[in-house]
Amino acid sequence: MMYSHLLFSTIWIPFICGLVFLVLVKDVKTLGARLLGLSGASLPFIFAWILYFNYDSNPANGYNFELILPTGLESLGVYLHLGLNGISLPLFILSATVGLSAVAYALFSNAERLNLYVGLLFIMFSGLMGTFASVDLFFFYFFHEFALIPTFIMIMIWGGVARHAIALEMTIYLTLGALLSLMGLIALYQQSGAEAFNMIALKTALLEQPISDVLQDNIFALFLFGFGILVSLFPFHTWAPKGYGAAPTGAAMLHAGVLKKFGLYGLLQIAIPFLPSGSETWGIWLLLLGLGNILVIGLVTLAQKDLKQMIGYSSVMHMGYAFIGLGTFSILGAGGALLLLVAHGLSVALLFLLSTCIYKRFSTFNMNEMGGLGQIAPNLSVFFALAILASIGLPGFANFWGEFVIFAALAESESTRWVLYLAALGIIISAVYGLRAVGNIVFGAAKESVVNAKASSGIGDMNQIEKFSATVLLGSLLLIGVYPKVFSDYSNKTLQNLYSDTSISLNDGNVDGLNLEEQKEHE
Amino acid sequence: MVSIVALCIVTFSIGYMEDDAAKGRFFAGVAFFMFSMTGIILADNLIMIFLFWELVGFSSYLLIGHYFQKDEAKSASQKAFIVNRVGDFGFLIGIILTYWQFGTTDLALLSVKAGLEPTLISSFVGFLLICGFIGKSAQFPLHVWLPDAMAGPTPVSALIHAATMVAAGIYLLIRIDFILTTEVLTFIAYSGTFVALFAGFCAFAQDDIKRILAYSTLSQLGYMAAILGMGFSGIALFHLITHAFFKALLFLGAGAVIHACHHEQSIFKMGGLIKKMPITAITFIIGTLALCGVYGFSGFYSKDAILIAANDHNMTLFYCLVFGALMTAGYMGRLVWIVFFGKANSEAASSAHEVKPVMTVPLIILSGFAVFVGLNAYWPFGLGASIVSDLDHLHHLSNYKEIHKWVLILGSLAWVIGLSLSLLFYGRGSSDDHLQLKFPKVFAFLKGRLWIDEIYESYVNTIQKPFAEFLSFADEVILRGIIVRGGAGLVGILGIGFRLLQVGKLNNYFLWFFVGLLLFWLYGIDLF
Repeated sequence: MMYSHLLFSTIWIPFICGLVFLVLVKDVKTLGARLLGLSGASLPFIFAWILYFNYDSNPANGYNFELILPTGLESLGVYLHLGLNGISLPLFILSATVGLSAVAYALFSNAERLNLYVGLLFIMFSGLMGTFASVDLFFFYFFHEFALIPTFIMIMIWGGVARHAIALEMTIYLTLGALLSLMGLIALYQQSGAEAFNMIALKTALLEQPISDVLQDNIFALFLFGFGILVSLFPFHTWAPKGYGAAPTGAAMLHAGVLKKFGLYGLLQIAIPFLPSGSETWGIWLLLLGLGNILVIGLVTLAQKDLKQMIGYSSVMHMGYAFIGLGTFSILGAGGALLLLVAHGLSVALLFLLSTCIYKRFSTFNMNEMGGLGQIAPNLSVFFALAILASIGLPGFANFWGEFVIFAALAESESTRWVLYLAALGIIISAVYGLRAVGNIVFGAAKESVVNAKASSGIGDMNQIEKFSATVLLGSLLLIGVYPKVFSDYSNKTLQNLYSDTSISLNDGNVDGLNLEEQKEHE
Repeated sequence: MVSIVALCIVTFSIGYMEDDAAKGRFFAGVAFFMFSMTGIILADNLIMIFLFWELVGFSSYLLIGHYFQKDEAKSASQKAFIVNRVGDFGFLIGIILTYWQFGTTDLALLSVKAGLEPTLISSFVGFLLICGFIGKSAQFPLHVWLPDAMAGPTPVSALIHAATMVAAGIYLLIRIDFILTTEVLTFIAYSGTFVALFAGFCAFAQDDIKRILAYSTLSQLGYMAAILGMGFSGIALFHLITHAFFKALLFLGAGAVIHACHHEQSIFKMGGLIKKMPITAITFIIGTLALCGVYGFSGFYSKDAILIAANDHNMTLFYCLVFGALMTAGYMGRLVWIVFFGKANSEAASSAHEVKPVMTVPLIILSGFAVFVGLNAYWPFGLGASIVSDLDHLHHLSNYKEIHKWVLILGSLAWVIGLSLSLLFYGRGSSDDHLQLKFPKVFAFLKGRLWIDEIYESYVNTIQKPFAEFLSFADEVILRGIIVRGGAGLVGILGIGFRLLQVGKLNNYFLWFFVGLLLFWLYGIDLF
């Protein structure tokens, strides 16, 4: 019981902090405000890890730390029902990590009306924690919107060039996606005849009486395109690079790093296990569109000259791996996709953070005008190079295991093997644009702009807070990269329970496949 | 072997890198490289090998890009990593397919299973697996990164491109040779021989001391691959070990020369160095003799074994390899004559002096190995089991004596002719290349390395880049501009249209009311 309240507090602590910053705090630069902000950001992080260490891998109905609070909507089957399972736990910790890093960085930044900015960031943070901690589907959706709206506001106020048009485009697009998935959720709830609007009740109801194949196909389509838009599935991705290009650092970090994962989380947690026949019908689309993400967007990424756009496109590209991982409908593929989600969330947030640091030194995002960062800011250069290498899947970083397990899952059955040959081309493409970025920015003779920045305003290497924020993210990437078991054991268990209870066929290879990761532990 | 060589190289580096500002980064890179390299060697399954394999690629990226201010280092390090990635792409798929086919990637289990069920072995997977080898060992057509990688500090070249990293590819093949089919092995043998010859030709046209050594490494790797492809992995391993010692020695010697000449790398700007730096010169010459396979030096034993085995296996390849040996002696002779004899050709060379003991001692140790490692062939118990069995196999050939005689004669002829021809052309020391002046076209061709680089570059520039730009354009304009925005535009136009209807005038509304009524009526009498 105590732990479930701890879980609840990870949602309301940032929320209260957000309100305090919005209403009461006038000057963020005072010691008190900073202390409040830092503790508000680090408490959820600490609590998340406490919960992690008390996580029981075999809970009664699949969820740990359950908490059910009445909401007044009981007649609709809606409760504030919180809990964590092996799928949401990694993402929950991911959002605590990225949230800590983003808020800490924002607290010491120079944005105008900083109190509003930090306040909105906190609200977004709280929404993120809520999204992944919700068992109840109404709140699952509610918290997502709760985090989405501050994103729009932040882009509107603190965004870059053409922020109004971009924010509007992003709002309409994402709301459309969210709406489609909400329709899917409601349809699923209606058809299943579940007692309450939550995942446990749905599962029980669907096990007793699965819904018809035609209905499954239709509902799955809603999920595929609704969630797909939210995760920038090709060709519904156009909002992403522009949006991230215009978004302020904190918003970009939280959105690209965590909030975007909502869609894939929905597919992983709800759509695929609950609609097995629907997923079979639409599976080929997951694979094809995922390949579109990897190959088409991969090549588009190659052509980018703007650093932030490049990161935005690369993040769209890497979502493709997660989609094809899901498209295998095996535990191995789903596990790989989950691992990749966490890894990608950390690495893309890190890249957005560092791109802002780099911008401060060059006063431009155009990579052709950069160069020689290595001479002026060696620490920043190392962080940036490592972040890029992590995102292109160098072993030792979490991303590698995600991609690797997905590739292994693709080869598992003859029918998806052709996807592997194409998808693996992505590792070459990403190496090319990643190293080109490092080459253009870090290597070469120091450009005037960066030398001037150092001379005039004393911006040389990273300062303490930049280092702190980047280390939190990079450290987590390394932790999972060296020891992927941190999450994989728990998620495998949940995935096995969830996927084997439903009618998804499993071959024996799966169980062996999970040993792939264990083999690593030998060394 | 790796650890001994690495120890010598690191000691040498202390001297070589003394006036470099970023020593810390350099040694961190080297240490990380060693970590990954020993990882590859100790790993007992393919996945672990792949993991360290990539890490080796990464640390070599760091080390090649050490002088990061230079554009040359930037492009060379990127090229090395990306080209390796291309190889790893195949390797990774190969590993995954192996896993699903055999149910394991553990090498010991794999060899048992492959023995029990030979039908599981497929050429396709084999070809994928050797992609990794082709990338890392810089075999054709992924050899382009190795000569460029000489942009890194010289000890790095010694470590990575002579002794260890490129050898990792051969090592991998030796570990997995039981799942390679005959077709794959034959392919390796022919491509190895081709590289051995091709790189030998290229070495003639270079004037950068490190590039000459780089091509020589390529050609020696070709030898190893060739013999491995003929099924004698033990002999390949033997040559791998002897080669690592003398090639590291040569690279460090070159490093010492470069250090003494104030980072001058063109051989035509050196000359007469034997008087100024005798220890370096003598050790370098020992390395050269070992490389040429002169009787008594370590290179002799391994090259001898290779030639005997090739003679037994495939005569065409045998003659090619003998010719390769001749070329080896030729370009190495050219290098030695020009650098160490004759008169100094530049300021830097005339002011050169012997380097510090911290650099010469590793040279002396390595030259000791370069001479004596080969003797292991006589009491082979110190070597691995596979080497012993392969050598045994050769000794028990029915016509061993006769073959051996032939090979001895041909092999010796090769280096004698090679060295003397080069003496003839370059013996007096010179500031420019006589041969180049005589055959400028041939040299330009060789210097262009068969234009493989250009082919890749033009592919990137004319196909891949415009295609990427086009996709980017399509993404921006067609998808985002027309389809997504178009949707918004359509709604907008509809909105404008509807607003026109709502003008607030009564007679206007009446008009539309009657139009509607008319339409209903027409519909009612089945006109539509």
